[in-house]
Amino acid sequence: MIWLAGAMIRIYRQARFYQIEEYKSGRYLRWLLARRGRWLPARPAGAWFVGLLLALFISDAPGSFVPSAVGVISGMIAVWPPDEGEVKKGFKATARAKRLLSAAFAWAALAAVGVLVVIPHLPDVSDLRLAALLTAGFALWLFAPLWLVFGNLLMTPVEAAFRRQFVCRAARALDEVQPTVIGITGSYGKTSTKTYLAHILNGRWKAYPTPKSYNTLMGICLAINNDLAGDYGVDYFVAEMGAYIPGEIESICRLTRPAISIVIEVGPQHLERFGTLENVAKAKYEIIRALPPDGVGVFNWDNPYVREMYERGYPGTRLAISKTVNPADVPPGGPRFVASDIDETLDGLRFTVTDVQTGEREPFVTPLLGEHNVTNLLLATAVAVHEGMPLRDVARRARSLQPAESRLVRQTTPGGITIINDAYSANPVGAAYALRVLSLHQAGRRLLITPGMVELGPLMDSENRKLGEIAAAHATDVILVGAGQVEPIKAGLLAADFPPERLQVVETLAEAVNWYQNTLKAGDTVLFLNDLPDTYSS
Amino acid sequence: MSAKRKTAVGVIFGGRSVEHDVSVVTGHQVMRAFDPERYEVVPVYINRDGRWYTGEPLLELKNFKDEITSYKGVMSAVISPSVEHHGLIINPTSGRFERSRIKRLDVVFPAVHGSHGEDGTLQGLFELADIPYVGCGVLASAVANDKIMTKIVLSQQGLPIVEGVSFSRAEWQEAPDKVIGHITHELPQYPLFIKPATLGSSIGIGRANDETMLRAYIEVAANLDRLILVENAVTGCVEINCAVMGSGLDVRASVLEQPVSWEEFLTYEEKYLRGGEGMKSAERLIPAPLEPDLAEQIRQMAIRAFRAVDGRGTARIDFLVRPEERTIYVNELNTMPGSLAFYLWQEDGLSPQQVVDKLVEFAREAHAEKRRSTYNYQTNLLEVAAQRGLKGVKGAKGRAIRPV
Repeated sequence: MIWLAGAMIRIYRQARFYQIEEYKSGRYLRWLLARRGRWLPARPAGAWFVGLLLALFISDAPGSFVPSAVGVISGMIAVWPPDEGEVKKGFKATARAKRLLSAAFAWAALAAVGVLVVIPHLPDVSDLRLAALLTAGFALWLFAPLWLVFGNLLMTPVEAAFRRQFVCRAARALDEVQPTVIGITGSYGKTSTKTYLAHILNGRWKAYPTPKSYNTLMGICLAINNDLAGDYGVDYFVAEMGAYIPGEIESICRLTRPAISIVIEVGPQHLERFGTLENVAKAKYEIIRALPPDGVGVFNWDNPYVREMYERGYPGTRLAISKTVNPADVPPGGPRFVASDIDETLDGLRFTVTDVQTGEREPFVTPLLGEHNVTNLLLATAVAVHEGMPLRDVARRARSLQPAESRLVRQTTPGGITIINDAYSANPVGAAYALRVLSLHQAGRRLLITPGMVELGPLMDSENRKLGEIAAAHATDVILVGAGQVEPIKAGLLAADFPPERLQVVETLAEAVNWYQNTLKAGDTVLFLNDLPDTYSS
Repeated sequence: MSAKRKTAVGVIFGGRSVEHDVSVVTGHQVMRAFDPERYEVVPVYINRDGRWYTGEPLLELKNFKDEITSYKGVMSAVISPSVEHHGLIINPTSGRFERSRIKRLDVVFPAVHGSHGEDGTLQGLFELADIPYVGCGVLASAVANDKIMTKIVLSQQGLPIVEGVSFSRAEWQEAPDKVIGHITHELPQYPLFIKPATLGSSIGIGRANDETMLRAYIEVAANLDRLILVENAVTGCVEINCAVMGSGLDVRASVLEQPVSWEEFLTYEEKYLRGGEGMKSAERLIPAPLEPDLAEQIRQMAIRAFRAVDGRGTARIDFLVRPEERTIYVNELNTMPGSLAFYLWQEDGLSPQQVVDKLVEFAREAHAEKRRSTYNYQTNLLEVAAQRGLKGVKGAKGRAIRPV
């Protein structure tokens, strides 16, 4: 019973990671098996082993309570749940998670019953029975992740049915409201572009953006079913579409049928899932292929992969934007909206937008930080102008923009320390711009706290090393979080002659926070760059 | 609003007003003007009692000679003030056989004249619902619908008006002699016009040549309205009408018309019923036979009057003019003129289809202009209130509450 309870607790605890890995058994198991501490922690294993030895070697009088005591105590020691430490993203008891847990509990209970049925049939040697019981219990506990996986398998057809139903409901809701759908994809900048576009469009129409970073088929369905359904006032539905596997954007587009699609960047984000940048580009292009012939494609000319999509010629109406081309000599067939004279200060970004087609020029002043936001804003501008909003109105709306959640959000602590929260962007381009924002703060020390970037596939080491080199130029202090994956950044920093005494490696974010709170003073600045999910902490 | 979808325009007509029938005619002229390729016309009929309906049979003018609501396919419907509906709730009190459903309207066209339609009340509903709508806003409609307020606003802007006095029904019923005394003091010359302040289409208007008739007409007007206006009758003048169209800084005036039967007074029959179909075939001179520079002066004055009440969309401004003396008075503003003054714009080369297109465009612009203002201003008031209770909030006003 103790083992079963322990197994249940373990199942429950593990379910959180299962959720983070998007209920994908393969990804979850790979994560689990990557470190022995995860699948075979020392304490339970030790307790089992010692218990087993005791059971086998202590011969005793029949009827003694010692064997049972050994069993109970070793069981207790083994399954007592360890302290979880800091939980960034807690377990969410969604309906699906509950179904999964029930199934996993059922498997565990079934296995436990099986053990209890089999053991009495073993030869009547108490030592052996106790040892078997201990071993079986331990196995029950050890295989907790397996029960989850089995539970997930059992639930697969059920989940599929639920999903189909959910998608159908969303399709019906969209059909009722009939908003113009704007799809946004890109390796990064999706959430920011979506937020800015919705804000700008709301200056003239009513736009509903998918909340937070919802960008999977199910996330978008959730947004539609919970918020969009029944809101007939919505003119534009701005949907962020993520590509984690090829075909995913296609399936999102089949549901939402965008009339306007934006491609921001093709970069090494999630490269480990795609293999090559070409595959990433292919997955992103699905959003353009899904457009009807009279749809509108909006492209970032500055990214070679995205420019290639623009030049492919579909659909007929294509708009490109650039912040690198000189507005005076835009090549024929080149970008239509061009930003120039980009100036970044602590007050935000200033730049001039030229509509090459009409010759209109408009100064943009925004409180946003980070030069990559010029691209995001240009893309949003292109859509708004195409839909009939005067460029001047767009510029006016741009003044009141706010950064998207955890994307270069600046705050000042009561103690006068400036905190720049860029916990969500973890791509090489955004990171470099974030560091430039950090170096605008020349008043005091500039501390970078980061675990580095992940999911960049084969480029992970080199990109992190590069990040270290750039960081050396912008930060005065660096704290790297998580000894496991920060070696390349460290190497990059040291290679760029960053003073080693200014560099620390800590295990948890809490330690880093503790350090700056005790050490930094008014006028200093901290940049939180990227925040890894719990599956990365050791 | 999908790019490929037709624009759903709700045309509202009828209404709880003495001008119900005129409005039904105007509504059908408007519905017929919309290009069916680009617009989906949704008829919305308000009957004399103020009940709302929608449905296919409302599209046929001839059906209105019967009891229209008994037609199959005519359903109860309301425009919801709640923004997420953005249009009609059909069968709002759904029963066993009828499910309620939503019909989104991209634009609303209130082709309703007079009370409960042209006076800002209906416009207020569209503001609440956040739906673009054709024509003047709440304030302009309300001001133009009230002849007394119109005089106050126009004279404030330096526009020439006919002198008059106003009083309420209560004042009249309380002390009629005192009111008459006041009138004869202010306006010693007969004839005088007696008008209910807010009714249109000449209803309840009388022309008095002596005190007996004055008293009689005031009695009539007091039965129709709470406020009564008595003004000098401008003798030896012609009536000149001018339609204007536009929004913001871009307002244009139409050619002028002169209704020809201005001998004694324009009666209701003359104004609407002669000739059968709306105002189209009523006898009138277009363009009015005036000196070109006088005509231009009147047109400019029409635009000024329209701006004075903060008008948008369209209006017809009626003048009293003595051509020989070149004196002009702005008489009244109709923010939803009968037949939308299609016949005047036609002279300027604008077809009814182009007129409704433009009016929809102005409606959208006005709505966009409204969106430029911020209505959603977040404060931490509720947070503070939740923490401290209502007392704490009261004391903290202006200090602890800040935008977030």
